[in-house]
Amino acid sequence: MNFTDSIRNSILVIIETGIILGSLGVVSLSNIIYSAFLLGFVFICIALLYLTLNADFLAAAQILIYVGAVNVLIVFAVMLINKPKEINTLEKWNISNNISLLLCTSLFVSLSFTILNTNWSNLYSIQHSVNILDQMPSNIRLIGNNLLTTFLIPFELLSILLLVALIGAITIARRAEFIEIETGDSESLKSKEESVERKK
Amino acid sequence: MSKILEKSNKYIMFEHVLILSSYLFCIGFYGLITSRNMVRALMCLELIFNAININFVTFSNFLDSQEIKGEVFAIFIIAIAAAEAAIGLSIILVLYRNGRSNQINEFNLLKW
Repeated sequence: MNFTDSIRNSILVIIETGIILGSLGVVSLSNIIYSAFLLGFVFICIALLYLTLNADFLAAAQILIYVGAVNVLIVFAVMLINKPKEINTLEKWNISNNISLLLCTSLFVSLSFTILNTNWSNLYSIQHSVNILDQMPSNIRLIGNNLLTTFLIPFELLSILLLVALIGAITIARRAEFIEIETGDSESLKSKEESVERKK
Repeated sequence: MSKILEKSNKYIMFEHVLILSSYLFCIGFYGLITSRNMVRALMCLELIFNAININFVTFSNFLDSQEIKGEVFAIFIIAIAAAEAAIGLSIILVLYRNGRSNQINEFNLLKW
């Protein structure tokens, strides 16, 4: 028992250091493509953390959706929108950064203070007395039951939301091209001149 | 005795994961405030979503392992985050196409 516990703890420590260093890199690296790939690494570490928390279906969903879809989308966008002179603008370290760093550290300190001071063992003992019969059905079966009984309406609404987001993303990303094609060259030249004037 | 020990071990792990998720939330918040690049701001938003998901999964694992409703909520959040990422990236693409820039402070299209 102790042996498996120690192995579990060491795995947890490895995963947590991965998450901590990876998220720090996502925020602070100057080249954005590195931070995009580090974001994928953080997502994989979070999926492993879900596995240690007995949420195997969620770990699979995390890898499929975040690493497979969202991260690929972000890398795609980074490669489309790539400016070589980006490092210059990012290196600016002004006082607002200092203020927000202070704010976020104080938020983190107060949150961890609250977490450490709250008496979780009461809650845990209540839960443990209920949870004596440990013959649970599998995780996926429980999730499916919940999705199709208690959360049926949010589930259906979610499917509508995904459809709307899909169509909306396509139309938003497509419209500008349409306008440029339809209005011809003079209009786009005008708008370019206007933008140049604005920059001046 | 061993039961108490196991309990305290689980309890320590619970706090550990909660602190980890609050760290992830704070660093995502910091990045969201300070980053000038729009894609990086979106990435930090994903970090915040993940921190909240970790919180949900932890609580559902430790307090409600009979019927894991926290995980169902986490699935909902993942789906909404995916939709948000798609919409946000398409908006960033359009802004870049119109203004040739991906810095947040250069966009003042919405005046009022």
